[in-house]
Amino acid sequence: MTAGPGYIGMVSSIGAEDVLTLYEGAKFYSPAVGDANKASLTSWLTGLLDRNGPVTLRRADALPPHTPCVSLCVLGSGAALADLPPAGDEFALAVQRIERLQQVTFGAIYPLAAATVSALAPVAAASQLGLPLLDADGMGRTFALIHHTAMHLAGVSPTPLVAYGATGESVLIDAQSAPRGTRLLGANVDPLGGWAALAAYSTTAGVLRRAALPGTVSRLVNVGRLLLERTDPDLLVARLAAITGCRRVGRGRIVEFEQLSRPTDKTIPAHPSSLVIEESGERGRQFRIELRSEIVAVFADGLLVAGVPDVLCLLDVSRGEIATLDSLEVGDLVDVLVTPADGLWYSAEGLAMVGLASHGINLDHPRRR
Amino acid sequence: MRQRHPTLPITLAELIRIEPLARARVAHLADPARRVEQVVLAENFDRLRRSTPHSLIVLHAEAATGGWSLATALNLAWERNASAVLVSRQVAGPSSQALAQRLNISLLGIDGDPVDVALQLAGQISAPDAARALRQAQCAERLAEQTGVRGVLGVLNSELGASVPVALVAGDVVVAGRASATAERPEVERVCVEVHGPGERPWARLVAAVPAQTPGAAQQVRALLLLARPSLLAAWAQTLLDSGTHAAHEQAAFGLLRQLAVAPGRPAAEAADVEAPAWNSELGWQVEGINRAVWLAPWRSAGEPPPELTHLVRAAWQRGHPNWPLIAEGDGWISWQSSADTEDAGPLRRAVTAFRGAAAVHGLVVGVGRPHPGVSGLMRSIAEARLVAHVARDGGPGTVRWFDQVGAPAALAWLPVTELAEVAELCLDDLMNARDRDALVDTVLAVLDCGGSLSQASQRLGVHRNTVLARVARSRQLGLAFDDPAQRLALHVLCYALAAVRSARPGAGKPAQEQEPPASGPTPG
Repeated sequence: MTAGPGYIGMVSSIGAEDVLTLYEGAKFYSPAVGDANKASLTSWLTGLLDRNGPVTLRRADALPPHTPCVSLCVLGSGAALADLPPAGDEFALAVQRIERLQQVTFGAIYPLAAATVSALAPVAAASQLGLPLLDADGMGRTFALIHHTAMHLAGVSPTPLVAYGATGESVLIDAQSAPRGTRLLGANVDPLGGWAALAAYSTTAGVLRRAALPGTVSRLVNVGRLLLERTDPDLLVARLAAITGCRRVGRGRIVEFEQLSRPTDKTIPAHPSSLVIEESGERGRQFRIELRSEIVAVFADGLLVAGVPDVLCLLDVSRGEIATLDSLEVGDLVDVLVTPADGLWYSAEGLAMVGLASHGINLDHPRRR
Repeated sequence: MRQRHPTLPITLAELIRIEPLARARVAHLADPARRVEQVVLAENFDRLRRSTPHSLIVLHAEAATGGWSLATALNLAWERNASAVLVSRQVAGPSSQALAQRLNISLLGIDGDPVDVALQLAGQISAPDAARALRQAQCAERLAEQTGVRGVLGVLNSELGASVPVALVAGDVVVAGRASATAERPEVERVCVEVHGPGERPWARLVAAVPAQTPGAAQQVRALLLLARPSLLAAWAQTLLDSGTHAAHEQAAFGLLRQLAVAPGRPAAEAADVEAPAWNSELGWQVEGINRAVWLAPWRSAGEPPPELTHLVRAAWQRGHPNWPLIAEGDGWISWQSSADTEDAGPLRRAVTAFRGAAAVHGLVVGVGRPHPGVSGLMRSIAEARLVAHVARDGGPGTVRWFDQVGAPAALAWLPVTELAEVAELCLDDLMNARDRDALVDTVLAVLDCGGSLSQASQRLGVHRNTVLARVARSRQLGLAFDDPAQRLALHVLCYALAAVRSARPGAGKPAQEQEPPASGPTPG
């Protein structure tokens, strides 16, 4: 990395010293995943970057338009990743499978979703393959399904896609439609060990200039840097607001958990549950946080105040860090933070795909009321 | 004929008294007096958004899945000014209850199909009077199950809820129910229903405080109070029967106790070691300690008092001391306080002071004996109390006499003064015909009281010594030869009797004596 401490803006490379920062930033954009495999992943990536040098971060429009690019992400559950650690070569091998299939040589790697461990994996693969990383991704956060991407909305097909397991086995999927591809992939995740390295959305840099969300990797580094400073929560929220446009809905104490709090469907692999928070201070509102694989919606006294595709996260006030959903306990004092997602997701097509209705909440999104 | 309002909107409080809402779990009740104008069966939030104020919202299908959807429904109901929200009982969790309290929206958890419940409620709301009649019928059933006055008041208070307190008031005293019903408060309409005892005599009244802003509420409350009247009278009669039995039981037990104390073969005074039988404690009596007896007697003895009077005296005497006995005996009532300490007359003193008002009203006097140990001591104390009660009759209704303060002069209370005065008419013919006989009798009585001292007698009478001397000389001429030792006691008693009879006559001018024992008495000798 070339910028000094305190620098905020576009990042041109990611080195070994940026790994923890990247990890923290990635957590902000998808707080659902726990820290179970933090140490092994970050030390692996740090070692890789130490040996191979920093990975160059390029804007999509800085590459020749015909440059072939492919996206990478971690498919499946974070808990499975902790149980079955990566062998290390799955991501590079997944990319090479598609190269062989399509008889192309990729000139850049880009994250399918620049958040959680899926933000780290493409860096590792880019380092192993000696390729630059695009400062762009398909979600700008995480959604539950792999066709919930900007590329899909722009007409780029996710297939052919390769899921490469830590066991050395792989699955190649070619399907007519993106949802079918997602369906076929879902059936193969468990046999591969609960998680897999996924390479998909093979396209060119020219297409990605309009089809991907730009600047989402450097943003992680900037946000991560703020989070690692461990300042006073109020100051932290103000600084985060300056970078991400987030706002605090309120601060309160967790008073109740409810499991299976609403009807489920089978499309999204996570149980619905709810969190009840009593707001501190004079207003004393009752916040109800609806959870699934992420925080889906926030209600204040029954009024919907925020919901997906907003990025919703809880800041643990006493520790001054983002609380992961599996670490919450009754009695915790938390700030409820709402960050707007990319404008694309608030379009009619975006909301139809990843909006509240996809989680069974048939209410108008607060930003469209 | 009372006015009816067949179309007056039904209130939430009325609805939750009858099926199907009678079985609902009330998670939060914001305002029971809230009127309900229609039922809205809401399957989604759009339907909720279109509801009109004062609706009863029944959630089902999508809107009834709980969690966030119930929270949203509560928020919309609050926004639309709904009367209440009904949802399946399983769905309404503690957080929903907390939110309902926070938004102050009534929330009820129901069993069964929400659509059925909504249809039943729609029927009730469209015919409010039928729903009210059903409620009254159910209330009447509950009232009929009650056998006690408190039970009846309990049913009324639970039926009408916290916002409408009900009390049973006899005179100015709240006998049962909530005293807040009688408190003066603004914006409260008072509903009173008289309850008549035997012979249409007013016995008590039911009082309810109804919030004035609810239209028609007073009329419905009155209907319920009227329904409660027969149950109340039955319960009252039951109490009377019970207390009659209890009084008879006490009377019999006391008779046995007295027989024990004066067992043949030994004098009562020496029977201090009589063991108290076990049935004493069953009646709540205590006799093992130091006993101080009380005799309550009518001011003018007129034979055995009626049972009604016994009941009233019992109510007044046992207020605050329900375990103290009260036994009808002859023309009065016996009671006693038993304690471990001879000096501990405090509770009795307070009870007697508190009873004086009732004694004055019922025309009673009170005698209090000295403290004596055990059963035989009790009998002795009773005898003393009875004695001073007779002395107390001199003082008029409400007079209280303590044997400790009276002593030997108590004997005078037993003199048959009327008969003695008749004897004087025969024996002292000349004196009785004299026009100044009252002055002569008073003077001779004063001289005898003062042991023959003319100067002391003149001071007591407030006349000159020579006047006393002249009157004594005239008395001797008229037959009052009190210098003769053989006649002195008889003449002294006759003079006392003549003076007592005169003071007892109406308009005699001598004031009724209060607490203190008589200032003078005959001096023997």
